[in-house]
Amino acid sequence: MRRTRGLTLLALLAFTLIVRFVMHAEVVDVASADAPLSRQEATLLYGLTLSPSGIDPHVNASSELGIPLRSVYDTLVYRATGSPEASQQFVPGLAESWEISEDGLTYTFHLRRDVKFHDGTPFNAAAVQANLQRIVDPATRSQKAVFLLGPFRSVETIDEYTVAIHLFSPYAPLLDGLSQVYLGMASPQALTRWGVDYQFHQVGTGPFRFEEYVPNDHLTIVRNDEYAWGPSIHDHQGPAHLERVVFRFFTDPAGRSLALQAGDVHVMGEIPPLDAARLQEDEHFTVVPVPIPGQSLGLILNTQRPPLDDVRVRRALLFATNREEIVQAIFGGFSPPATGPLSSATFGHIEMPDTLVRFDPAEAAQLLEEAGYTDTDGDGVRDRNGQPLLLDAVLMTWGSLPEVAQLLQAQWMTVGVQLRLRTLTYPAALEAARAGDYHLIPQNYAGSDPDLLHTYYHSNSTFNWTRATDVVLDDLLERARELGDPAARAELYAQAQKRIMELVLLIPIRDPVNLNGVSTRVQGLRFDAQGWFPILHDVRLQ
Amino acid sequence: MPKDGSPSCTTFVSSDHFLGFQSAMLVLVVRRLVVAGFALWGIATLVFVLLRVLPGDPARTILAASGASEMAIAQARQQMGLDEALPVQYGRYLWNLARGDLGRSLFSNRPVLLTITEQLPFTIELALASLVITVAIGLGLGMVAALYAGSWIDRMAAGIAVLGVSTPLFWSGLLLIWLFSLVLRWLPASGADSWRHLVMPAVLLGCVGAAPLIRLVRSNLLTTLQADYITVARSKGLPETLVLLRHALRNALLPGLNLIGLQAGFLLGGTVVTETVFARPGLGRVVVDAILWKDLPVVQGAVLLVASIYIVVNLAVDLITIVLDPRQRGA
Repeated sequence: MRRTRGLTLLALLAFTLIVRFVMHAEVVDVASADAPLSRQEATLLYGLTLSPSGIDPHVNASSELGIPLRSVYDTLVYRATGSPEASQQFVPGLAESWEISEDGLTYTFHLRRDVKFHDGTPFNAAAVQANLQRIVDPATRSQKAVFLLGPFRSVETIDEYTVAIHLFSPYAPLLDGLSQVYLGMASPQALTRWGVDYQFHQVGTGPFRFEEYVPNDHLTIVRNDEYAWGPSIHDHQGPAHLERVVFRFFTDPAGRSLALQAGDVHVMGEIPPLDAARLQEDEHFTVVPVPIPGQSLGLILNTQRPPLDDVRVRRALLFATNREEIVQAIFGGFSPPATGPLSSATFGHIEMPDTLVRFDPAEAAQLLEEAGYTDTDGDGVRDRNGQPLLLDAVLMTWGSLPEVAQLLQAQWMTVGVQLRLRTLTYPAALEAARAGDYHLIPQNYAGSDPDLLHTYYHSNSTFNWTRATDVVLDDLLERARELGDPAARAELYAQAQKRIMELVLLIPIRDPVNLNGVSTRVQGLRFDAQGWFPILHDVRLQ
Repeated sequence: MPKDGSPSCTTFVSSDHFLGFQSAMLVLVVRRLVVAGFALWGIATLVFVLLRVLPGDPARTILAASGASEMAIAQARQQMGLDEALPVQYGRYLWNLARGDLGRSLFSNRPVLLTITEQLPFTIELALASLVITVAIGLGLGMVAALYAGSWIDRMAAGIAVLGVSTPLFWSGLLLIWLFSLVLRWLPASGADSWRHLVMPAVLLGCVGAAPLIRLVRSNLLTTLQADYITVARSKGLPETLVLLRHALRNALLPGLNLIGLQAGFLLGGTVVTETVFARPGLGRVVVDAILWKDLPVVQGAVLLVASIYIVVNLAVDLITIVLDPRQRGA
């Protein structure tokens, strides 16, 4: 009888395994980047770093969903690639051309007539209308797409291939939003058919079709052989070179370069800097650092909480910060030091003059003296009225923030400032931010339009964690948001960035850079103007 | 001979024995199910309270990257039903649970039951494979260590046990990947597509689980081998293997069975470190992500599911113990 029980257990085990392997038989075929079989030549294996909780681009917000889905959807317009200046231009996508009304309130798009969704549904103005209406419907619970539409008022079908978007107020970043995968055009038929399950049955017009998504395991896209309407940012027209791309999720940073070198993937994002240095020495791999536009990575200062309500103390912290040392020690030089609130890959970014941002511990000490802080008890920490100069930093675990903060601790101690560190989960850190329970807190959101400064520095914004209210800055950000002319906008954003550093609302540390590890078999891999998203249409495997 | 192999129907069992055994089983199962109901209710309540004490607002977390207004955040909170009074939320939660509705994830808007069950095959596969390895190594090395107590084999088994318990998985996992995927190129480093993907994580978890089992089997077997009935068996002239396998091991194994049961529960609850290191899907990652992001319905559903698994596995262990150990049948 014991034997029978043992057999039952074995049978159960065997059954589970068989079921699993039958279920995944197709993926087994393509599971190794080393495999020499010819039909696998055209399958690219791509490592993602986060397993998104949801992957409907109209609903969810992660960058990770965009890495695969950028190739499944087309957008009405595309941002040109290249320098931050070049990428301020938009090129036709699903819209052949567009006009913006004098008052900046109406955008009229003339659509291509030769486009079909992957399910055969024709693309037209009604499809655009259905997509935008889905996004703004509160029941959709859009986490990002709806906000990219700004002061959206309505969408209007003018004829079969002409559609207009009406706004409540002029909103210069609208084209930026419409160029992002979150506003990608989905088949209205598929949206209706699948409802809340649409994320597992996505249908776009892009160079790849969505095939399968198993959460936490893999996501597969396959070539759309009918694709003939690519934007000019693609290097070639017609269908993509690759037949299939399989994405897998590697949440453990320590294992990423190992998986790449073991041949499990051809491309791996967010390689830790020290591993990237090692990977560069392997002739089979290259490291492709891609600067990410948006905020620079740094610590926001709470200007309402003493002693940071005194700009001299804030400036002293800025001057006591040796960004070069941090970037070398922690990021192996892969991530350039930042001098302001925007990363250098962002349109409108300016380098700050030395007068505003520099490493100058002597000046830092001088400023602290002026603010009344001296070390009266000889413990190495300055004090005033018996209160030590002790600051409280909230941290999160991403971006090597704990390591950065430990170096800051040491650097600031040399001028007599003590820093206390508190590492929290993301929801807890957001709660601390809401309550104002911090002196310093990290903030890093990506975005290709400098209007993100409005979100993070305007006095009315929920996410203005500086808690500063400055009418000059508010005015600059409000005007820049409504201006149509890119050059005039850039000028306003230059002033805004300077104003932010005059007020010392943050300690900028470095530009975010995505360190991609890439097998030398991969040819032609480029990233779009957002930085995160590969243009897989042009990629070949050798 | 009945197909189910249950001892109750074997011909040599007397009818008294038969009834006693059956009713003991029935009483145990019924009693356990009642207790299980209360336990699940307690766990559901505890998770509910703990999650509300943890700092963080899911609505704010979801909308932070978009820079939404305070009004939009408040609207989202209302849509999620998080603006209601806690007793109302608690009542609705219990009512839904009673109807078998675990709700939807706040982040992906997918049914919690689906979110969890689609990860289960991966978790069960790894749990079973590593349990088999645990039992094989634990029993094998434990027996050898007992039979050759004090020898170098015994000391080696002790060394392996200490190593297994004290090596952090995220480190030993990376070492395995380095050796077998990078240097030797025998096994894939990540994923869950084939048996080859299962080898490293299963062996790793199997060894960790085997460590305490080696020690337990060794000490129990040593004690049992001193018992009078073993001396009797030996003096009857039975071969040593028969003495060991039929008489000694059966008694020495009973405490080990409980340990294996605990281990099974632990493995079926998800093994987040192993899943993360080997980039495998599984319950562990889903649960930990849900906790970190404060996805309330997913955490609540997953904890209840894992608790149910524990309860069922423990019940099964008790039933097997009764089958193996006649002394338990009257209890």
